[in-house]
Amino acid sequence: MTENVTEAFPSDQLPDFSTDTYKDAYSRINAIVIEGEQEAHDNYISIGGLLPDQAEELTKLARMELKHMKGFTACANNLGVTADMPFAKEFFSPLHNNFQKALAEGKVTTCLLIQAILIEAFAISAYHIYIPVADPFARKITEGVVKDEYTHLNYGQEWLKANLETVRGELEQANRENLPLVRKMLEQVAGDAAVLQMDQEDLMADFLTSYQEALLEVGFTSREIAKMAAAALIG
Amino acid sequence: MFGLIGHSTSFEAAREKARTLGFEEFAEGDLDVWCSAPPQLVEHLQVTSATGKTIEGAYIDSCFVPEMLSRFKTARRKVLSAMELAQKNGIDITALGGFTSIIFENFNLLKEQQIRSTTLEWERFTTGNTHTAWVICRQVETNAPKLGIDLSQARVAVIGATGDIGSAVCRWLSQRTGVKELLLVARQAQPLLDLQQELGGGRILKLEEALLEADVVVWVASLPQTLSIDAASLKSPCLMIDGGYPKNLDTKASGNGIHVLKGGIVEFFSDITWQMMEMAEMDNPKRQMFACFAEAILLEFEGIHTNFSWGRNNISLDKMDLIGAASLRHGFQALGLSAQIDPTPALTTA
Ligand SMILES: NC(=O)C1=CN([C@@H]2O[C@H](COP(=O)(O)OP(=O)(O)OC[C@H]3O[C@@H](n4cnc5c(N)ncnc54)[C@H](OP(=O)(O)O)[C@@H]3O)[C@@H](O)[C@H]2O)C=CC1
Ligand SMILES: [Fe+2]
Ligand SMILES: [Fe+2]
Repeated sequence: MTENVTEAFPSDQLPDFSTDTYKDAYSRINAIVIEGEQEAHDNYISIGGLLPDQAEELTKLARMELKHMKGFTACANNLGVTADMPFAKEFFSPLHNNFQKALAEGKVTTCLLIQAILIEAFAISAYHIYIPVADPFARKITEGVVKDEYTHLNYGQEWLKANLETVRGELEQANRENLPLVRKMLEQVAGDAAVLQMDQEDLMADFLTSYQEALLEVGFTSREIAKMAAAALIG
Repeated sequence: MFGLIGHSTSFEAAREKARTLGFEEFAEGDLDVWCSAPPQLVEHLQVTSATGKTIEGAYIDSCFVPEMLSRFKTARRKVLSAMELAQKNGIDITALGGFTSIIFENFNLLKEQQIRSTTLEWERFTTGNTHTAWVICRQVETNAPKLGIDLSQARVAVIGATGDIGSAVCRWLSQRTGVKELLLVARQAQPLLDLQQELGGGRILKLEEALLEADVVVWVASLPQTLSIDAASLKSPCLMIDGGYPKNLDTKASGNGIHVLKGGIVEFFSDITWQMMEMAEMDNPKRQMFACFAEAILLEFEGIHTNFSWGRNNISLDKMDLIGAASLRHGFQALGLSAQIDPTPALTTA
């Protein structure tokens, strides 16, 4: 067994951050991250509009997202890369549109699932995978960010948990409509992520782990979650 | 609380299991889907010792299947994620079952202590190898005489002698049991020489040579699927303890005085209700389990919350004594030949 796997060991070497290939891929991945943080900011402010008694808390979360956005902008500057923002806007548009639609309909549950569970779980896993292969400057920043994202995920979990019995149906529906989008987004950036030495299977698996953990916390059983996760994996 | 990390014996078996447990969606998925599937805490269970003490435990399926062995990153992630899940569930002592402990050791996962936001606490995990080694030795000691093999006059071949389990078995058999001669088999020469020196005896042989001379053969190396045994050239009687994984020796050699016994399996004194084991390849799944799993149960019964079996070549005779005594006290028994000697010597695999 050992001999046929040794060559599959990943290299312990960091990518060369100065190559054009790296910078080109980074311009899109970094843009996605910046756009993601911006959207997260806007989304938390919007959710505050639906939950006036939570508005103060949500504004705090939103502020953190802006800080993240600035941090990642600095990462691009540090590498001499210009983030490809039009690409990132396009990339986020399906999820963005779903959020806006739910917002217009006053669907707090759907909004929270999209932002505070899906996007946060996605960010957490992606940042965890990025950290070991990031340049030293970006690594430091990302390590700080990831801690905050747990706070946000936790916020979503707590709210949904407290309201699970009334929101269950809407949650399942929102999961069906949005989880497949996350998988498609992942597939779309797999090539660029690979240049940054972030493996797509790792990204998907870690995302599902974070997502599963969050849903367990909310109060779903493992069987229910497996059914829900299958929506992203199959078909 | 104790934990067991297990996995299916094949991708097909995993799908079948998923279907039975009500995870139909996953059952339909292909291998790539399974590669990114997170581990699952499948069930909680209770076990009551022969002493009357009751403990709680949980079974975690790592969603690893042997078909993933060649995918280093996948295998590594499966093992670490399952361990993370065990720790996050507050499980005090968890056995790394099946390939899990081998992957852990061979891929040197000790240096991967940080997984996402969790720092793995090694003291919460055990390979279960001490109990496995003890059970295998006991299986040799109690079953050889049943076949008329006098161990003090017998040659015992240990295939995988330099391994964690194999070296412990050699130590025990030479110091405690007293066999006529140990035949040491593995591929690399230097570890064999070191072992021979440590034991102060034993003869290093190639597999084919050892098989010709052995009265008892202990298999504690994973067998290549391609291995074939010339049954006619073996001694008769010959006791074969199949301690490898998967347990497939009986398909290669049995009958004509060759008695194959599933090694490293214990039977509990009373039924345990667990759905997972219903699907493992045990003849009596309510009571039988891998000795490595049982080690986590024993450590929980004994309140020993530490990585009892850990690393390579750390299994001492003292530790084997300790876990062996606990095994007997709480109601485990090593699987024996008695029921199967007649009429057909071969063990059936599920
Ligand atoms: N309850 C149970 O039934 C359990 C069973 N096991 C099984 O026991 C076996 C050994 O486990 P463990 O001691 O932890 O493993 P190790 O990796 O420590 O040892 C494996 C041993 O087998 C030798 N080996 C490997 N391949 C071959 C080969 N083709 N021919 C001859 N020798 C070989 C190795 O030496 P070298 O590399 O030099 O050849 C080494 O001595 C495994 O198959 C495992 O699945 C494990 C735990 C519990
Ligand atoms: Fe953020
Ligand atoms: Fe966030």
